[in-house]
Amino acid sequence: MSSVTLSDVGLTYPDGTVGLSGIDLAIADGEFVALVGPSGSGKTTLLRAIAGFLRPTSGSIHLGDSLVADASTLVAPEKRELGMVFQQHAVWPHWSVERNIAYPLRLAGVPKVERRARVDEVMALVGLEGFEKRNPTTLSGGQRQRVALARAIVGRPRVLLLDEALSALDEPLRDKLRLELQTLTRSIGLTVVHVTHDRDEALALADRVVVLDAGRIQQVGTPPELVSSPVSPSVATFLSDATIFTGRLLADVFSAAGHECRVDAALLEGGGSDGDGSIAVLPEDVTLTPGAGAVVMSSLYGRGGNDVVVDWKGIAVRCRVSGRRPLVGESVDVRIARAMFYPSRLPAAADAHDRAAAGRLQG
Amino acid sequence: MSPSPTARVAGPVVTDRARAPRSPRGSTRRAGRPDGVDAVRIALWLVVAAVVLLPLGAIVWLAASDNHLPLLLGGDIAEAGLNSLVSSVSSAIGAVVVGTALALLLDRTDLRGRRVLRLFALTPLLVPPFVGAIAWIGIAGPTGSANALWTQWFGAPLWNIYGADGVIFLLTVHSYPVAYIIVSAALRRIPSDLEQAARISGASAIRAVLTITVPLLRPAILSAFTLVAVGNLADFGIPSIIGLPERYVTLSTLIYRYIQSGTVESPLEVIATIGVVLLVVAAAAMVIDMLVSRSRWELDASASSGQILPLGVARLPLTLVAWAGVLAITLLPLSALLTQSLLPAPGVPLAWENLTLDNIVRATTAPATVTGAVNSVVLSVLAGIICAVIGLAIGTLVTRTAARSNTALRTVAMLPQAIPGLVIAVGWLIIAPRIGLFNTPWLILCAYVMAFVAIVVQSVSAPLRSTPMTAEEAARISGASRLRALFDISWRMALPAAISGGTLVVLTAVRELTISVLLLAPGAQTLGVSIFSLQQAGAYNAASALSLIITLVGLAGLGLAARRAR
Repeated sequence: MSSVTLSDVGLTYPDGTVGLSGIDLAIADGEFVALVGPSGSGKTTLLRAIAGFLRPTSGSIHLGDSLVADASTLVAPEKRELGMVFQQHAVWPHWSVERNIAYPLRLAGVPKVERRARVDEVMALVGLEGFEKRNPTTLSGGQRQRVALARAIVGRPRVLLLDEALSALDEPLRDKLRLELQTLTRSIGLTVVHVTHDRDEALALADRVVVLDAGRIQQVGTPPELVSSPVSPSVATFLSDATIFTGRLLADVFSAAGHECRVDAALLEGGGSDGDGSIAVLPEDVTLTPGAGAVVMSSLYGRGGNDVVVDWKGIAVRCRVSGRRPLVGESVDVRIARAMFYPSRLPAAADAHDRAAAGRLQG
Repeated sequence: MSPSPTARVAGPVVTDRARAPRSPRGSTRRAGRPDGVDAVRIALWLVVAAVVLLPLGAIVWLAASDNHLPLLLGGDIAEAGLNSLVSSVSSAIGAVVVGTALALLLDRTDLRGRRVLRLFALTPLLVPPFVGAIAWIGIAGPTGSANALWTQWFGAPLWNIYGADGVIFLLTVHSYPVAYIIVSAALRRIPSDLEQAARISGASAIRAVLTITVPLLRPAILSAFTLVAVGNLADFGIPSIIGLPERYVTLSTLIYRYIQSGTVESPLEVIATIGVVLLVVAAAAMVIDMLVSRSRWELDASASSGQILPLGVARLPLTLVAWAGVLAITLLPLSALLTQSLLPAPGVPLAWENLTLDNIVRATTAPATVTGAVNSVVLSVLAGIICAVIGLAIGTLVTRTAARSNTALRTVAMLPQAIPGLVIAVGWLIIAPRIGLFNTPWLILCAYVMAFVAIVVQSVSAPLRSTPMTAEEAARISGASRLRALFDISWRMALPAAISGGTLVVLTAVRELTISVLLLAPGAQTLGVSIFSLQQAGAYNAASALSLIITLVGLAGLGLAARRAR
């Protein structure tokens, strides 16, 4: 096992597209880190740069103490001693399950007897006993993903890379494998980098979550940190479906621009002095009361609370409502119990940023 | 966490930028040192240069050495060129019309017995064109069975197959299965929901087919047309057997005459000039096909095939017409071959006491045919093995690795498929004395490899393209070098496709005539040439007997290959 250290990693494609920019990230030995972000945010690019399939155009990557990529070095993927599970499992159809799993050991020149023992060991670990001679094409999706996982860990990799490893599976199975994955990686103390577009999966599995957008790290933190105190409106929107209001904080009251939303400074986290800025309101912090200020647009049932969107004078506000589920078309009043305030340094830039965030919310 | 910031500063910025260009798809780009994969790529380039580019270059070079264009514009050659053009274009139109109609009827309607009918409709593909020509003479030749009957009833023959109309008819018969296969494959790729969406929007079943499906087939129809037209442009067997008796000369028969009898001065140079003209036509067809395929619609993968269209009242009449037509085209020639093989001479009435096995015995035991058969089997098996190896290597390399030269390599390897076999033969004929293969059977082998390697490249790359690249990436992560991943993963995965592609090469080459008749060397006669010589010498019944055998063996072989592929 070893750590992964990225310093100022950037990756620009020949056509000028920025894949990654200024990535500084230290993943500790034995840590489980999830990379999340909207599609095109660079999370898969980052993973493939760690794997060695992509060469960073700037910065450096270390695995443990050894430098694997910088301006003058590029260690090939096969020399990095990694394990990787792909979204479409990539189990080789022309070999038996056992041959698939044994391949990394075969390449490493492990003697046959030891190879046998280690293959048996990982197959038991992923719950595939008795499947040695099976043809992979006869396996179910979940079983193939177990084969891919066994193949990735059999060589005792320094780091396990998971590229949307669970995303191709159906829901109940995905949930089951998620639990098994945590048990497995913790029991052998693997360093794991897990790319996913599933926010709940990232929050559920990881020690720390890295939120990426437009090739940059937006925030790194533990799941509770990210949920309760996102560093920017865009992170709040992406991770928690927060609603953004732009406006001004003046005399202990935040007033949204061109909107009747007012929030008392006592309810604002992040503080800050008077001035322009925006607030992010988490769905949990909105309460709906009978009234006439807003109209319910949609109301979805959820186990942990109904997922309701109301149209509040032109702004779509997402709320999590427990108890009675409001009907679509019902008139309600919106009350904000808590919000995060983000002062804007450059009003124009902040405006553009929040418009982008609002667009993402609607999309 | 600031690991060795010095390393970054130490790296020379200029080289960094020089190395920066990577493929935009973001695949591996190694630090600069060539590795095993690069060596394999260079080796393959050398192979295609020797097998494909060298003969083509020789044609162009010889044609350019002196200006023979005025010769082309006058007399014989111009007339033969016009005949070739007219016969290939009109037969291609016929083939595409028949092929498309069959594809729609057999794949999308409730025509009775369409599964069995599909097998029958494909059989002309398995019969070499020159064998078909010999068979059809037995039906519609001046003394053929159909004409004999017609004369008996109405006092005049029905239709004499000799001449331009016969050539066009036979070319159509032998190329519509190819058009059918291409169109039917395209038809299967059109998602059924497109038609269902039209139905839900209010279109009738027939209207949905005509306004949604048929327009989407247009690119496939056009590419079937170009493929068939180029193939027919230089067919040798049909025009020489059906056209020559009526003095209907095409380019291929003209070239054959030049090579055999030397009726013009410096025949090779004139032929090279004709070859270049054919090459230009083939290249133009390829470019058109490429432009069309570029504008092809991106269709989502479809799990379900199209809905079956009920024919209603038209079901019975259409079934009768389709069955009658297909059976006439497929079974008639086979039965004609059979009767001719069993009769001692043409024109002898078909009666029990006249039947004899002499032709079959003589055909199979004559030393010339035995040599021909052995030569054909040896040459085609060798060609199959060589094509399988080269095709596997090229097909995997161009689909499973990232390099700018991939498209070029693939294009060069696929090029001969668009080149008339005639031109390929001429190219090897020109370079034969220089490479010491003049008058040896190995020249035919070289030409076979050039002509048929594309079959394997195609059959290898098609299934590989639908496999995600993560298969090799998983091997890299497991510790395999690029070359090792190419061997262990790409090649192994493609091996079954390469073997079936190689089998197809063997079955195609063993019945080949156009190339081997032009590259004929003493003792290097192939099976196709044996039959052709018997036919030319007037031994129709022996030629028929041999044709019958080769057809039945071919059918059995392809049947076996198809069963194993499944």
